[in-house]
Amino acid sequence: MSAPLWVTGLGLITPLGVGVEATWSRLVRGDRAIRDVSLFDAAGQRAAVAGQVDGAALSARAAGLGLAVDPAGGVAAPWSRTSAMAAVAAAEAIEAAGIDVRAERVGLVVGGTTGGMFENEQVLARLHAEPECRELLVQMLSHPLTATGDCLEQRFGPFARVRTLASACSSGANAIVLAAAWLLAGDVDVVVAGGADGLCRLTLTGFNALGALDPEPCRPFDRRRRGTSLGEGAAFVVLERADGAGRRARGPRPLAELAGWAAGAEAHHITNPAADGALVASLIARAIACAGLAPGDVDYVNAHGTGTPLNDAMEATALRRALGGDVERIPVSSSKGQIGHTLGGAGAIEAAITALVVSRRTLVPTAGLDEPDPALSLVHVPHAGREVPRVRAALSNAFGFGGMDTVLVFTEPELARRRDARAARAAPPASTARGPAREAGAVVTGAAVFGACGLLGTAECAALPERRFDLDGAVDPDPHLSAARARRLDHASRLAAVAVQRALADAGAGADVETGVLLGSAYGNVDASAAFMHRIFDKGPRTASPADFPNLVPSSPAGHVSIYLGLHGPTLTTADLAASGESAVVQAVQLVAGGFAARLVAGAVEPRSDIVGRVLAALFAHTPSQSRVARTDTAAAVVVESELGARAAGTRILARFRQVLEWRGDAAGPLASLSPPGGGRAECVLPRPDETAKALIARSGWAACPVRCCSPSIGESDALGAVAVAVAAARIASGLLDEALVIGIARGRGYAIALGR
Amino acid sequence: MTAAEVRSELKRLIVKELNLKGRDPEAIEDDAPLFGAGLGLDSLDALQLAMVIEEKLGVRMPEGEEARSVFRSVSAIADHIVKVRSA
Repeated sequence: MSAPLWVTGLGLITPLGVGVEATWSRLVRGDRAIRDVSLFDAAGQRAAVAGQVDGAALSARAAGLGLAVDPAGGVAAPWSRTSAMAAVAAAEAIEAAGIDVRAERVGLVVGGTTGGMFENEQVLARLHAEPECRELLVQMLSHPLTATGDCLEQRFGPFARVRTLASACSSGANAIVLAAAWLLAGDVDVVVAGGADGLCRLTLTGFNALGALDPEPCRPFDRRRRGTSLGEGAAFVVLERADGAGRRARGPRPLAELAGWAAGAEAHHITNPAADGALVASLIARAIACAGLAPGDVDYVNAHGTGTPLNDAMEATALRRALGGDVERIPVSSSKGQIGHTLGGAGAIEAAITALVVSRRTLVPTAGLDEPDPALSLVHVPHAGREVPRVRAALSNAFGFGGMDTVLVFTEPELARRRDARAARAAPPASTARGPAREAGAVVTGAAVFGACGLLGTAECAALPERRFDLDGAVDPDPHLSAARARRLDHASRLAAVAVQRALADAGAGADVETGVLLGSAYGNVDASAAFMHRIFDKGPRTASPADFPNLVPSSPAGHVSIYLGLHGPTLTTADLAASGESAVVQAVQLVAGGFAARLVAGAVEPRSDIVGRVLAALFAHTPSQSRVARTDTAAAVVVESELGARAAGTRILARFRQVLEWRGDAAGPLASLSPPGGGRAECVLPRPDETAKALIARSGWAACPVRCCSPSIGESDALGAVAVAVAAARIASGLLDEALVIGIARGRGYAIALGR
Repeated sequence: MTAAEVRSELKRLIVKELNLKGRDPEAIEDDAPLFGAGLGLDSLDALQLAMVIEEKLGVRMPEGEEARSVFRSVSAIADHIVKVRSA
């Protein structure tokens, strides 16, 4: 049995207050912090209230970190309000846990959706109207989601690992799940994991366009509820193995144990939850089983509880289905009536609140709940919190657009372990099991590339580096998709759907194995965000398109793919500049090898984009070859599953992952621990010609191996890392090679992925 | 604009704005249900249609429960638009 995972520190910044204690005291009192938006002009918006973090308090706390934040909102790039809030919360968590980031093996996972959107909305709108504009572009250093992790790395690092993760409004919760995977694999001893999202015009306008916001402060579970309220904030938790090196040296006292988790996708609709709550009910049941517990052990639920009629009805149904008769006993509350829906931060903020509820034996309320909806039939905590004798186990629910849902279980430390009766844990399902498949490792069973090369299946990928394709032609996904079912998919989602569909078809993957999607996307949907903002500034918020808004969420291609293909496994997005594809594949290997997912289709997508090509790629360029080769529409995917699973299903194994490495900065000898090839035919496959990668290879055991590059064949894009992995796996499968090494480098970061037969 | 012209324009907007590729606007029946079994549209389509109608035809559509009855068919939407415009 693996070591318990302990929460040893928390950091919290919410509209209620800056810091854990400031937030907690008002949270328990039932204070509401949702009021008129002052961060920007919200005139003409259907709902113009939101939970805003106090600018003066944020500014004061940020100053303590050497960071200048204008109380009215401004902060110089590459920082953003989101990143500043993240830094304040991370600093509090790190200090509370007493960890030394530089001395211990500490990982960082940042979940989020808005990143530097607030700071970049006007720049984007202007770029939409004036493509040649070159003013203010340095502001866009704060635009990528990765900017937050990079800022924290610069302020607190170096970390052993950094990952940026997005799954809409479950981002913060999935950051914590990934932290668990890293810790249980023993890759790191401590992880600082959480999420942050700042309020911005784009989200306020978009949620208003969807009619999802209550014009008054939201009232979760109330009979009169009319929608949610937006909020902003950040939370980080410090998680560590109870038997980790830090634990031995520092002897931290755990606040709570992260005991269980489950993540999956409804594959139902891009904005609306499935009314039957079936997926959420199964995740709740699986998360409780993962913790080695039963519904009878659960004493509290911190609900997603947005206050929209659909969410709260679905969530109540799911709780009833999963908890059975115990739902009549277990108090349920939502913090959104007090702080609003903090989107990418919500999963982390509410996880932190849930851990505090366990640790402090105090329930927090649902504020604004005056007339409980009798149809929901839950046990509420109205108006104000209250102390209780114990909170043995508590759930934290987080649901995202596209039905990307996650459930976390926090318990009193070692609750399950202390109990003899349950010492033998029920075997959890594969997607929540703790690490049984690791010995058998992760394998590739399918690969596909879609782009300037057309659609290449596994067999055709092998020859990709030896061919040259027309880099100016249009890439048309429509002949590969059903027009009716794909009508909501934007171009990026269509490109991704074609690649994922083909990779799965080539794997002959049966629907019986739960399959998730993990896509890399460097900058999200920049051009459409620019067009959306330009329209709002030009014609007013009522002209915002409700159909376009969900496609602006960075995780929307993964969500659309899961819906289009009916995939119910974890649905995640990762961002890491020009190494976004490598980041996705490496994360998939970590999750599959750790037993956190049975099968993940991992890859990356980048539609050809004016703003990426003209601005972002130049700002974040790593090597001159990135600007010499034309940018193209590109999507690529590989099917990653456990070797045990593939064998059991009789699926053909194309290649095995031998080793994955990742590093930040210009680490000395990042390939020092890389095993040399075994003596067969071996090649290095690079996304693009890259002198840094070649120099690393020259100093490694792979120095004598031929090097192949993908960008001269199919053009430049930030999805090329996934292309390189697909090519490497295909070349091994076709018998051209015994081993291959993919090295992907982007500014300040790198990945190495070694594959073998 | 007559009610017939409004209906015709609405059908064109439905196909274009809701991305119903390959559908002939003229083949959409005036009184056929737009949601559920009919054209297979849902609440997100209704919101998109309301935004487009406000922008292109200058009529603000009802929201919430009232929207349900107005958005039941092309005829019902057209009737509402004509009524608002003549008011």
